[in-house]
Amino acid sequence: MTDKTNILRQRIITVILLVGLMFGAATLLSGMTSWRLPDHEQGYVPQQPINYSHRLHAGELQMDCRFCHSGAEKSRHAGIPSTSLCMKCHKNVTSSFDVLQEELNLADEEKRKPNQVVSVELRKLYDAFSLDEELKPIDGVEPQSIPWVRVHDLPDYVYFDHQAHTAVGVSCQSCHGPVESMQRVRQHSSLSMGWCVNCHRDATEHGMNGQSVHASTDCAVCHY
Amino acid sequence: MNKETLQQNHTESTQVSRRQFLEAAGFSVSLAVLSGCGRAPIQTALPFAEQPVGVIPGVMRSYASTCIGCSAGCGMLVGVRDGRPLKMEGMPEHPISGGGLCAIGQALPLGLYDNHRLKQPLKDGEPADWESVDKAITEQLASNGSAVRLVTSTVTSPTLQATIDQFLNQFTDARHIIFDSVSSSAILDAHEKTHGTRLLPHYDLNHAEVIVSFGADFLGTWISPIEFAKAWSSRRVPTEENPTMSYHVQLEGRVSLTGCNADRRYRLSPDEYGIVLSHLAVEISKLAGKTPPEGNLAASPISAEELSDLSHRLWHAHGASLVISDSQDFEVQLLVNHINHTLGNYTHTIDIERPSYQCQGNDAEVVKLIEELKSGSVSALLVAGTDFTHNLPDHDSLTSAISNVPLVISFAQREDDFASLAHFVCPDHHALESCGDAEPISGRVSLLQPTLAPLGNTRSVLESLSLWSGNQSSAYEILQASWKENILPRVQSEVKSKSFVHSWDIAVQQGFVELETEANSVGEFQPTAVKLVTKQPVEDEFVLTLYSKTGLTDSSHAHNPWLQELPDPVTKITWDNYVCISPTAAKELGVSDGDVIRVETKDGPSEIELPALIQRGQHDRVISIALGYGVRGTDRFANIGPQWLEGRPTVAAGELVGKNAASMIDINGGLFQYSRAGISLHAVKENRPLAATQEYHSLELPKHIAPPGAEIRDAVQTTTLAEYKANPEAGAPHMHHFSDKQLWAEDHTTSGPLWGMSIDLNKCTGCSACLIACQSENNVPVVGKDEVYRQREMHWLRIDRYFMGEDDDMEVLHQPMMCQHCGNAPCETVCPALATVHSEEGLNEQVYNRCVGTRYCANNCPYKVRRFNWFTYPQDDLQTLALNPDVTVRTRGVMEKCSMCVQRIEDGKIAASHSGIPLADGDIQIACQQSCPTQAIVFGDMNDQSSEVLKALHKPRNFKVLDEFNFRPSVGYLRVVKNRDDNHHEGGTHE
Repeated sequence: MTDKTNILRQRIITVILLVGLMFGAATLLSGMTSWRLPDHEQGYVPQQPINYSHRLHAGELQMDCRFCHSGAEKSRHAGIPSTSLCMKCHKNVTSSFDVLQEELNLADEEKRKPNQVVSVELRKLYDAFSLDEELKPIDGVEPQSIPWVRVHDLPDYVYFDHQAHTAVGVSCQSCHGPVESMQRVRQHSSLSMGWCVNCHRDATEHGMNGQSVHASTDCAVCHY
Repeated sequence: MNKETLQQNHTESTQVSRRQFLEAAGFSVSLAVLSGCGRAPIQTALPFAEQPVGVIPGVMRSYASTCIGCSAGCGMLVGVRDGRPLKMEGMPEHPISGGGLCAIGQALPLGLYDNHRLKQPLKDGEPADWESVDKAITEQLASNGSAVRLVTSTVTSPTLQATIDQFLNQFTDARHIIFDSVSSSAILDAHEKTHGTRLLPHYDLNHAEVIVSFGADFLGTWISPIEFAKAWSSRRVPTEENPTMSYHVQLEGRVSLTGCNADRRYRLSPDEYGIVLSHLAVEISKLAGKTPPEGNLAASPISAEELSDLSHRLWHAHGASLVISDSQDFEVQLLVNHINHTLGNYTHTIDIERPSYQCQGNDAEVVKLIEELKSGSVSALLVAGTDFTHNLPDHDSLTSAISNVPLVISFAQREDDFASLAHFVCPDHHALESCGDAEPISGRVSLLQPTLAPLGNTRSVLESLSLWSGNQSSAYEILQASWKENILPRVQSEVKSKSFVHSWDIAVQQGFVELETEANSVGEFQPTAVKLVTKQPVEDEFVLTLYSKTGLTDSSHAHNPWLQELPDPVTKITWDNYVCISPTAAKELGVSDGDVIRVETKDGPSEIELPALIQRGQHDRVISIALGYGVRGTDRFANIGPQWLEGRPTVAAGELVGKNAASMIDINGGLFQYSRAGISLHAVKENRPLAATQEYHSLELPKHIAPPGAEIRDAVQTTTLAEYKANPEAGAPHMHHFSDKQLWAEDHTTSGPLWGMSIDLNKCTGCSACLIACQSENNVPVVGKDEVYRQREMHWLRIDRYFMGEDDDMEVLHQPMMCQHCGNAPCETVCPALATVHSEEGLNEQVYNRCVGTRYCANNCPYKVRRFNWFTYPQDDLQTLALNPDVTVRTRGVMEKCSMCVQRIEDGKIAASHSGIPLADGDIQIACQQSCPTQAIVFGDMNDQSSEVLKALHKPRNFKVLDEFNFRPSVGYLRVVKNRDDNHHEGGTHE
């Protein structure tokens, strides 16, 4: 083997290694923005398919959490409301109050019937529910589920039960944080096992809402 | 490494050293890995667009329905969660099954989520659409409809029967032929002769004090096993106040599940049934002071004293006794009727006024059809609910005869043997997708609800037949119309006074109705019809008995891997059929387990080659083979288990699971004979290992190693009724030194309930329904034949089966064995990861996410109930829909075991906390307990002084397995009591 080929080979290897290093660093840097330890998702705020605001609904309009998340008292899952539940109000409320009022005023001034004003975000809801421009059902098109992005996601080997917690009066906010003030829902708590166990211990020791409870810390309470 | 040495290295060699390369490459890789520490993949949550009324995501709802896994028609609650039927449970209120559900019923979900079910109709084997199929069929029926033959298995549905009649009425020469793959035709024919009406009586075992069964496996597969097991077990519970039991004698050639549970079991070849019955008939006639049937008596294989004892017992319990037989020998069934008539059992333990419709097969009609097919006079052949050609002998000539029929239609759900011959396959819905009804016993009608929309483009037989009769109604409309007209007006209760909609809703909700039926008019008993059987068996020939395996029954469930991997309750073999042969015969033939035997008939060309299984207690002249194997398409299971270097396929290339033994069925006297004499055996020099889940069979220790007084292990304890009367604690071992010394500090904290379980071994028949219930509830994987062979099956609950004694005096014991949730658990002390720990409620918890797979716990478990996930067991996408979302699917390298259905315990506690009503005894039912046909399993809180489980654990019959080691198991067993006066085997009373 000649020196020349050796040098050539070394250069190639060096270049490959450098490229590798740069690639690694680049991917790491890009990941840094949302970098966190595995299974530790505190502060996760995903983009949702519709810019739904909890601050508006639960905060300003003071709707009860359980109006939409009715499963919280009846099931393991709090549940995400069906599109038809949204339509109970949004059949009439097609845009924000200001915009609707403006159109009403304008129509009043121009002495005409007010036009249907549909906000961009609500149009997405109507599309999913297969409603046309006049909010009439489109024939032959099945309503589709809205693919909401899960914010609070526990590992598959953890069984959290909403009903068990609401039954003893644990408020939604104790785990989910001040959702009524969130424009877009963020994972407020760490949802780590330590966090769960601390609360369970605390509740057993001090009671829940003035009542004594036994919040077990047995493994099989959550893992089975 | 400092700069200087780096420099040095560099000058020494112009190459990058191996170490440098690895360092740099490793750094790059780790950077890339670290960058992966972002969020897990984005998960979407899809809500309903429109939420159906009453559906709450995550909550299981039960729908009353009827199991149509066989024709017994047990009541069933279908647990549906998020639109998926997941868990089948018995319906406690049901008038037939009374809360039990067998393994087949439990396994329905896996049959539903099966990729191999047909998804659309077939026309000449090619996928087609319904419109073209219907058009072609109606045209061909109109032009070819001179001789239409519709073959079905037993039809218990009044609505389907009406639809069939309506369909066939269109044609000038049309017949409905009922073909049961395992027929009881001789019983019906015998009643036609003796009572004037062809019917199957309804046997009432609730009132039977003495039961004598000639081969009838009524606890396993015969007619209505769940109903019979429940009724049988109601008289198997001796208490201190009332120490009585029924007396059950089984005379059989093979070892059946029922034989295992009998008080006295005689080995009797099926060709000797007639002789013994003749003797009984004569003796009982004498006792009753009536004239015995005509004929001469041949020498009996059973001694005169024993026969006399048996006939005295029967006569003593006349009106409350029962003689039954599964024989397809017409003469034998006539004798059975004669004895039952002489004993006055009709109208008491045998109901012929409100008969059973569970087996209506008419063999003579089938034989006639086969002749017609062979003569080419059939113009259209339609087959529903059975694989016609698979279940009949003479396969080749039958298929060639069928190939000449101008129109052949199959309603099979999958391309079975007959469907492969059919011009049109019009696939029926799966049972869980179907709308229907069933009247298994006259006057007891139950409904079948669909629990999900059909997965494929299939269609109910009801709809197909009525469409071809010119009626375009849906199955639901047909069913409603039939109930409005025929069923609901005859309902017993006040339901019928309500409007149709209201009474229909009530019927659907409760799942069944009981009708006011007029008693079936039956003729006078004809004693002259009965003659004694004198034909002596030929001594040097073998007798072949074909039987149904408990939990598989016939070919219709062969595609269900849960049932294929369900160990046979007696032989404990999975994934195969085999030739059961007695130890003596095996020795003479020079074969051992797994050696292939060729079974040949003397008079016909039929033969079959299968591995041998040496079965203790088998009659020396009898060999037995299970039907329902060798089913077309079961080669799909070749790669069912984990695929790895040393893995062997479950099914060899080009082979099926087991072999079809239907070729050995004898057609004699217009009846299908499942036992035939004139069999010769030849050892083939080949060995096919059988995969058994249990390889130790005896509780007896070899004499030379047994300590005095401990010749019989006391894992299962037995006693006799005579001893029990003298001392309710009889059967308990006395020699052991019980130790309550503790190695560990008493540091388990306890709070609230303390869960425990009790299993009454006297009620447990070993039917294995609990095993599939557990598998379905707890996502237990199927591992395939090779892994079972390596003792790596995953069942959390196994049923240990032990033999005691030999030959004519053999006793068989069944013991469900699962995690005993020991108070002093040996597994907990050795786990280095604290993955198995004790809960405050007395449960031994297994934490999958902590487990690192050292398997120390399994080594240290004295009950050997822990299962290790050697692999991630593959499942296809559709099968995963059968998984219970409440239980973690375990991955490779994790230990698992019975959790006492902790998910159900947690659910129960949460429901109680939500409603504010404290948990009551029985609120939580665990999976195995729920489905047990005999309610042998009791579960509950041992801290609740009034709980059933505590009462059971305080019974004198209670014992714990390996109690002397002070493991403090939470599971107790109630000792087996056999109704015997003698002290045979000194069962368990070794002092």
